Amino acid sequence: MSHTYRKFGQTLVRKTITYFAFFCLLFWVGFPVYYMLITSFMNSHELGAKPPNWIPQEPTIENYREVVMGETAVRGAHSSHGEFSRMMPALLNSTFVSVAVVFSNLIIGGMAAYAFSRFDFRLSRIVYLGVLMTRVLPALSLIVPLFIILRKLALINTLWALILTYTIFILPLTIWILREYFDTLARDIEEMALIDGATRWQAFRMVVAPLAVPGLIAVGVMSFMEAWSEFFFALTLTNSLTYPPLLMSYRNLAQVNWNGLAAATTIGVLPPVTVAFVFQRYLVRGLSEGAVKG
Amino acid sequence: MASEQLGKAAAQQRKHWDRKWIPYVLLAPALVTIFVIILSPLATTIYYSFSNIDLIRDRTTFVGIDNYVELFGSRLFWKAVEVNLKFAAIVVTVPTLTGLFFALLLVENFKGRSIGRTLLILPWALPWIVVGLLWNWVVNAQFGALNGLLYTLGLIDKYIPFMADEDWALVFTAMASAWRQTSFSAILLLAALQTIPEDLYDAAKVDGAGMRARFRFITFAWLRPTLTIVLLYNVVLGFLQFDAVWIMTQGGPGDATMLISVLLYRYTFINFDLGMGAAVSNVLGLITMGVGLIFVRLIYRSHTTYA
Repeated sequence: MSHTYRKFGQTLVRKTITYFAFFCLLFWVGFPVYYMLITSFMNSHELGAKPPNWIPQEPTIENYREVVMGETAVRGAHSSHGEFSRMMPALLNSTFVSVAVVFSNLIIGGMAAYAFSRFDFRLSRIVYLGVLMTRVLPALSLIVPLFIILRKLALINTLWALILTYTIFILPLTIWILREYFDTLARDIEEMALIDGATRWQAFRMVVAPLAVPGLIAVGVMSFMEAWSEFFFALTLTNSLTYPPLLMSYRNLAQVNWNGLAAATTIGVLPPVTVAFVFQRYLVRGLSEGAVKG
Repeated sequence: MASEQLGKAAAQQRKHWDRKWIPYVLLAPALVTIFVIILSPLATTIYYSFSNIDLIRDRTTFVGIDNYVELFGSRLFWKAVEVNLKFAAIVVTVPTLTGLFFALLLVENFKGRSIGRTLLILPWALPWIVVGLLWNWVVNAQFGALNGLLYTLGLIDKYIPFMADEDWALVFTAMASAWRQTSFSAILLLAALQTIPEDLYDAAKVDGAGMRARFRFITFAWLRPTLTIVLLYNVVLGFLQFDAVWIMTQGGPGDATMLISVLLYRYTFINFDLGMGAAVSNVLGLITMGVGLIFVRLIYRSHTTYA
């Protein structure tokens, strides 16, 4: 009897701790995000309220309208016309860059990973290690020579400069994850196809590629996230063509329109957040394989 | 029978012939672009760090190790190192511990677990620049969420200008980085926790192991490789963070949040002293490469033991 009571007590303690921890998680993640969200639905005069209105008293979608339409209504301090006019083009640019990076990265990285996985060739081990090592180079430190090279190629202030650099910087991770993935796929089926007279390409397309789809999705999602988020190269190699540096430029205005900025931020994170939630399982897998296994 | 063997031989021959050139063709795009975009700039940066670059007269003169001597003799550099070490200390410990805490929570069976797991991904899905902005809203002196919360709870009666204070500024820029990195750490740790076979715990229970013993000898032992990786990632972030700090403070107030990466930016893009900028980047590169080498070594070791 007393044993049952103790057990009951233990589960109760465990439950309490669990829900307390769960509350901590909700607060830790939710608090900053929630505050940005309510700011984006507020008028500027409501923002300064003390204590703050934790639930907006006069919710408005005016901020979102301004950002989407690319204009700022003339009102008080924030009368800079067309403050957000570059926002929608920047989001389009970000989308184009990110999608292009996903595909170029998958093609180039997939080819290289397949080569490392299926062929023994001279220096393969050293080349592979070399590729991996480039991943830990601080990208920040290569910016000046990179700028000079891209200027020679006449790519400065174009989206191609970003597509090229993002693709290359994520390649090591892609090669790493996909190689590991190809390694786990049985060679026998592929060899069988080869013996049956299939060419390497046919064997790859009909046998390996379909099996590798989860790995390809994981890598694709991760490169999308990286490309969408990248700030430093976009800042230095282009004139704020994509979303992150543009956001920074709003932040640096003498009179920051905080409510508009909150709305702009919210709109701009919808794509990566949606992608992350939809592909949650692949993402976790890609992250942990890329980080842990190798 | 005979024709089959013949086919096999032909296939083998073709495969043999394949092997000579196919891998090089497959690798060519990756290697060429990596060379152009990463390795040649790397070589250039190393060369620049030994040069004095006069942008106005467009002249580059070789100055040996002068840049490094100047760098290591400057107060600014050591200030950046000090700031960066404090920053890294927070960015390493907070995400590792908080991440472990959340991972242990989310492996439990309870209502709300799937909400928790989804929510955990959210910070990681946000760009660093957005993370910096979010925390700007948290610590703002006029309408910050933290001030608002403390005020609502009656703990303060005047808003605190956190970012005007040198210590708070460093703590909060580090906390912003820790916030997103916590999610990353927790995701990795959770994935590892989920692979622990349940019967290990059952067996330990049968053997009379208490909760603490079970945690130490099963959970912790199983997590150790992942924890190592998480720690290394967090160390690298501690030295390479730039975006979130840049949007929050740009290195200020004074030099209170001037990480080595911010110093690099200042030399290169504000002073246009490319030689010194290159020297800073090589020092920074060596630090992270050092960490990276340990990283690759560890991974290779685990690779060979598992394979």
